[in-house]
Amino acid sequence: MDHKVIGKQFLWAGLLFLLFGGTLAMMIRWQWAFPGERVPLLGDIFLSRTGGRITPSNYNSLFTMHGLIMVFFAITPILIGSLGNFLIPLQIGARDMAFPLLNLLSFWTFLASQILVIISFFMDQGSGAAGWTTYAPLSTNIGTPGHGQTLVVCAIFVTGVASIMGGINYVTTVIRLRAPGMTYFRMPATVWSLWITAILNVLYVPVLGSAGLLLLLDRLFGTQFFIAGAAAVRGGGDPLLFQHLFWIFGHPEVYILILPAWGVVTDMVSFFSRKPAYFYKGSVYAMIIVAVMSGLVYGHHMFVSGMNPLLGQGFQLLTLLISVPAELLFLNWLHTMWKGSIRPTVPMLFALGTIFVFGLGGLTGLYLGTISTDLYLHDTMWVVGHFHLTMASAVFLGSFAAIYFWFPKMFGRTTNESLGRVHFWFSVTFLTLLFCGQLLAGYAGQQRRLYDPFQYTFLQHLLPLNRWTSYFAFLLALGQVPFIINFFKSLFAGQKAPSNPWEIGTLEWDIPSPPPYHNFEVVPHVVRGPHEFNNPEVKRALGRDWIGQAELLPDAENRQEAVAASAGKAD
Amino acid sequence: MGLSASQAPALPALLAAFANMASGRKGRMGMSRGGGPGSGGSSGTGGHSTLEGAEILAYRPPHERSEATAKLGMVLFLGSWAMMFGALFFAYGVMRSRAPAWPPIDQPRLPLATGIINTAVLACSSVLLFGALGAIRRNARAAASLLVGLTAVFGAAFLGLQMRSWSHMALAGFSPSSGPYASVFYGLTWLHAAHVVVGVLALGYLVLRTARGAYSAPRHLPIRLWSMYWHFVGVVWGLMFVLIYLV
Repeated sequence: MDHKVIGKQFLWAGLLFLLFGGTLAMMIRWQWAFPGERVPLLGDIFLSRTGGRITPSNYNSLFTMHGLIMVFFAITPILIGSLGNFLIPLQIGARDMAFPLLNLLSFWTFLASQILVIISFFMDQGSGAAGWTTYAPLSTNIGTPGHGQTLVVCAIFVTGVASIMGGINYVTTVIRLRAPGMTYFRMPATVWSLWITAILNVLYVPVLGSAGLLLLLDRLFGTQFFIAGAAAVRGGGDPLLFQHLFWIFGHPEVYILILPAWGVVTDMVSFFSRKPAYFYKGSVYAMIIVAVMSGLVYGHHMFVSGMNPLLGQGFQLLTLLISVPAELLFLNWLHTMWKGSIRPTVPMLFALGTIFVFGLGGLTGLYLGTISTDLYLHDTMWVVGHFHLTMASAVFLGSFAAIYFWFPKMFGRTTNESLGRVHFWFSVTFLTLLFCGQLLAGYAGQQRRLYDPFQYTFLQHLLPLNRWTSYFAFLLALGQVPFIINFFKSLFAGQKAPSNPWEIGTLEWDIPSPPPYHNFEVVPHVVRGPHEFNNPEVKRALGRDWIGQAELLPDAENRQEAVAASAGKAD
Repeated sequence: MGLSASQAPALPALLAAFANMASGRKGRMGMSRGGGPGSGGSSGTGGHSTLEGAEILAYRPPHERSEATAKLGMVLFLGSWAMMFGALFFAYGVMRSRAPAWPPIDQPRLPLATGIINTAVLACSSVLLFGALGAIRRNARAAASLLVGLTAVFGAAFLGLQMRSWSHMALAGFSPSSGPYASVFYGLTWLHAAHVVVGVLALGYLVLRTARGAYSAPRHLPIRLWSMYWHFVGVVWGLMFVLIYLV
């Protein structure tokens, strides 16, 4: 029931499903480069029934489950489940979560949902195939009658319950269990971001839950919430209702996923520039504003759903406004690095990579938030490229930054620096090339989700572009091998990590790696913020450029002695 | 920490996780109550005071703090669930705004009388639970277990009456697949009834615990938390009754 163990369990579960979701992505990319041809290596394992080829119905399952697995079963456990569980108590100076039992329950509930996903692949008509958004009526019995889809909807609901349990725990823990002196603005940005994320989870995941429940009622008990048209009785319900419910949750969800990465980046940038985070309160307020606004912009996912144009304009305005706090964060990151003594460690590289790809993703999003351009770009590969740059690239680079940074604390071993660098350069290069390739294809008019885009004459000339994009994807996959080697090698044969390898002042680096069962022998009394770097007084007194959050400066007498001693040395 | 897990009922385990905060902690609290620098939220204010090993392991925030923490958790949970029911009501609003006539003129009426009785039943049960909370605060354990038990009985009666309304409607040829009106009626009342089932099970568990003397005036957090849940479920029913039966 130890929060650190649960954090590690979430990490394992998430990484395993990341591998799984990535494998599905590779098969999709293969299909777009060599449509209908035998899939090498993977085909014999996963597609033996269809002779190693991807059929149209297989393909529907592939892209649906790639999206669902990545969003709900890979990113969520790694960033929120693992980081949140492991870091929140350590960084606020608590000995465990507020509700340890609920925490345990959250993990097992999550595991149950993963098992449901795996079972769904063995159903008669395959797994879910209605897209990761499970839009009705495609996701009702009319569109996807198989049990696979039902199980997947169940899995989403169950994982939602796990998220809510985790969220309640995180929110309560931060409010109630901060160590003495740990005021809200002395919390590291990572904790802030995880806390805001948890609040969003508690508020908006239940909306997805309600959509899932109504969909299950439709699928299992014959109600007609989302069925319209010929199959409907007495006019039936409204398929658009599902889109509303889904995106009321869905847009906060994208911030749920990116906020922890922002928090990690805010901390990393300060830690490895050896400078206090520039305008730290501003960064925090920016994250809060984004979180508040995230519930008000969801309509930009539905510009072409026939909504009232006036309503669309409102959503457009709010959508473009939400980029303002994000820009503040960017400026703060840049300003923190400005004239810092930057240490290009692996976590710092990944943090910089996050900033880069998130910048690209943010800029390409402006064209989707503006109605006039969205009308053309909607449902093209441009959308796919955009949200992969933000939700996939930025989020995963941020996750890797966090994994490399806290690995010593989690497992008590240090990771290999050069393998980490190889992993970083492969990842950032090919993530960028891969998703920029998709942006180009989308700009040229290639719709997303096509089984074989090249059956359309006007898309045939995009085959070389798609092939290149796929090669980049395969190289990206290859680039993850150093990570896997590094992870396991460090886990079993890495050097013993010192308690504070990065020379950072936040509370978790003040205790041994890995931390003992109850974390803090003496609950620390926090006296300063998380980013105290290059404070001249500290330098004079302690001779180093950092100081712990709970560390007291030697008192005046000692200081004078130290000054005298150093003066003596100078003589 | 198997001690709290063993007390958790299987079904309402989610909420039991909150409820067990107090009961599971009792034994440990006894140890740390002894005082010393380890007890109290301000432990470690001395900065570098050293504690004895036993005291370190027994460290827990004091009793009142942990109760407030559990209540906060329950409030967050209910807030979260309010969002879910809010979304369900939103769905109802969308369905209704699209319908040409609501309720459809040629479909059977909802059993209004049963609805009114049901609302009264749930309201009474909430009052009884208030009474139970007052009784346990006066240390009147027998009265408390009786009142909690009565609340559970009223909850079960609510479920029975709900089943009566469903079968009444089904006999009138009104099934879940009879269109949007039926979808809203069955879908929303089913989902609400599921929460009443959880509540009744939890109340039954509380009766057993209260009768065994597990709760007293200073320590009765599970009753407090489950009554928050129960009142919430009652309020949701009130809204549902007004919005679906009356308006």
